[in-house]
Amino acid sequence: MRRHVSAALLGGSVLLFGAVVSFQATASGADSTSVKEAPREWWSPGESRRFPEFLTYANKWGDLGLYLEGAPIETKGHAFFEPLGANGRACVSCHQPADGMSLSVASIQQRWRDTRGKDPIFAQVDGANCPTLPANDPASHSLLLTRGLFRIALPWPPKAADGRTIDPEFTIEVVRDPTGCNTGTQYGLNSSNPTISVYRRPRPVANTKYTTHQRFGVSPFIGKNGLPTARDPETGKPVSMNLMADARHPTLKMQARDAAATHLEFAGRLNAKQLSQIEDFERRIYAAQVRLIQAGSLVEPDGPPAFGPRNLANGEAGVLGNNTTRYVFPMGDAWKKPVAGESEEQRSKRESIRRGHDIFFFRTFWIKDSMHLNTVGLGNPTKRTCATCHGMHMTGMDSSNGWMDIGTTNLPWAKEVPLNPWNQHKPDLPLFKITCKPGVLPHPYLGRVFYTQDPGRALISGKCNDVGTVVMQQFRGLASRAPYFSNGSAASIRELIDFYDRRYNIQFSEQERLDLETFLASL
Amino acid sequence: MLRLARGVALTALLAHSAAIAQGQHLAFVSCPIVRDTKSVPCWLSEYGGETYYLGIQTDVSADFYPPSLGHQVLVEGDKTDDARICGGVPLKNVVVSVMPERADNCQTLLMAEDRYTLPFEPPRPPGPSTGRLAFAYPQPEKPEPPYQPKSFELHYDFDATVGFKHPRFLTLVMDYAKLTGARTISIVGYRGRTALSNGTFLTERDNLAKIRAQEVADLLRGAGLTSPKYEVSWIEEPETGDASRRRTTITVTP
Repeated sequence: MRRHVSAALLGGSVLLFGAVVSFQATASGADSTSVKEAPREWWSPGESRRFPEFLTYANKWGDLGLYLEGAPIETKGHAFFEPLGANGRACVSCHQPADGMSLSVASIQQRWRDTRGKDPIFAQVDGANCPTLPANDPASHSLLLTRGLFRIALPWPPKAADGRTIDPEFTIEVVRDPTGCNTGTQYGLNSSNPTISVYRRPRPVANTKYTTHQRFGVSPFIGKNGLPTARDPETGKPVSMNLMADARHPTLKMQARDAAATHLEFAGRLNAKQLSQIEDFERRIYAAQVRLIQAGSLVEPDGPPAFGPRNLANGEAGVLGNNTTRYVFPMGDAWKKPVAGESEEQRSKRESIRRGHDIFFFRTFWIKDSMHLNTVGLGNPTKRTCATCHGMHMTGMDSSNGWMDIGTTNLPWAKEVPLNPWNQHKPDLPLFKITCKPGVLPHPYLGRVFYTQDPGRALISGKCNDVGTVVMQQFRGLASRAPYFSNGSAASIRELIDFYDRRYNIQFSEQERLDLETFLASL
Repeated sequence: MLRLARGVALTALLAHSAAIAQGQHLAFVSCPIVRDTKSVPCWLSEYGGETYYLGIQTDVSADFYPPSLGHQVLVEGDKTDDARICGGVPLKNVVVSVMPERADNCQTLLMAEDRYTLPFEPPRPPGPSTGRLAFAYPQPEKPEPPYQPKSFELHYDFDATVGFKHPRFLTLVMDYAKLTGARTISIVGYRGRTALSNGTFLTERDNLAKIRAQEVADLLRGAGLTSPKYEVSWIEEPETGDASRRRTTITVTP
């Protein structure tokens, strides 16, 4: 079952989709206990299907595996898979199994072609650049179609969890509003309900025991700034705050309620059974690559213990990686020596994966001017490695409250369209001018006045130092869910590596780039 | 004339430098310098024609936190006659504060040279740890009833409020208050004035004692410690002295 979709031209000069996109859904048998099923790649809301114990989906790097711990799930009547709100979406709409429980831009483009823009993911509420734009016009959905971004509207000034208004430490001015959703009369700062619209990628809903752990680095006070840590209202215990890009909701249930109300346009309130179904599924689903082209299976019995969703399910959550007993992504002794039956090509690829791992772990470079990393006792700059920030065992997340500013949304590092008389491309994201108020200490690296495409955590906390900080994501299933970063600014794993190389002057060689890319695609 | 003035100033500075005796307390504001080595970088700063060694890069568990390029640093410490490290005279009891405003002239990053090697094994390599944090915190003794009033102190960088250094100390306060069923938490905020080695004074910003005291109360309440009665006060008159003057005291009364 393989189909090829020709290149399509949408929306005039703005949207030229890439060359040939191929999709394949398989049951590759990459895992010895795989359920042999050949699923359709797109899971539509309200379908009656069975989510089996194990699934695989092909991607350009190989195969992604999904492991559902415990009993299979019948999707009919299940709150994660049912369209609950007015726009026909379900949770699964934006958390697709084939895309590592996120949503790739390739799938979004395919869905536009298959449904002529009628799929619920293109709902005007947040699937359009702004709800005021004409429906079904690809230009109105350009951020979703080209970067995989949904609109997130947040109140300004921010509201605390208890409903009180936070007095922000900075003023915010809209200096560029290509979507019209920040300065219009119906939406934006000038509306009767002032909001700021930013545009973000859906995060993978898998491997959640790691994103919701309450162990190393989680204490009553946030390790980065000493402020009170958000707590689970049901238990009263502090949480890791690593679930969402801006950490605005601390638990899976609270996130589900918010997503139902906003993304699904569900007018009611999820009941206990619905919440329980959603959380149960989200706590049991694991996603990771299981096969890499040329390298072959990543999940053989004697293979590296880092790889595959079953190893994620069996891994220890909420612990920091080290270089003796518990690597961030443990490789063990696998593939150090040639294995009987290994082809030369396979051997070469596996060696590349191992080298990529070592680059991730041991290749030092100078990390500089990154808020909530260089400010937490390591010095600025600090000579460290990828694994310094991406230190949580098995996922490469931050084990403590993980919002940082590495420059993906703050200028001068964020990706911007070059402005000159010869460039016909226009910037597609809003731009905000931030001014830290008098009496507040300036941002240590950007000063008192600076620019951002998305203030990130600061839209929740109101803190000057949080502007542009984003909670880092897990590194699993990367091959299936491009583009990357919260604003989709890296179209590929290679672009992601290039961003870091440029940002921190790492000076990767071409071989290092290749090896790191291969390693990351294997996760 | 200008040249003469510079010459006089330089002479005065050198004379002052020569007068800095071993054991003498130093306090100065200068640019930090980072020097790479074959393992972890070390941090230096220059004052009065001399280079001082401040410490090395370790991890968040260290007592010494390296400063920041792009900012000046307030260095407070006692000069030693120990052998130079990374080309700098070691300071004892060193405390560094990153000055809040940008100083874009402070950007000196020196590459590794064979002649500058650390005379000790760094407790934390530049890459991932060897399975532990570089420094272990002493475990506080578990208090036994009858519980007594207990005081805690938070210390701050110059002009700073609560930051990454403070969660473990605030957690100690929380734990004791919860364990003892605290009835009252008394918080007193202070601000400091540092006597610099050049004869001038550096005073923390106005109103900071109040900001510090109120912030600590807000943080403890925000973390769930809402039952005790809070008595929050501050002393705005800056206390002249070393880094320990920049503080908040917290007394938990069961």
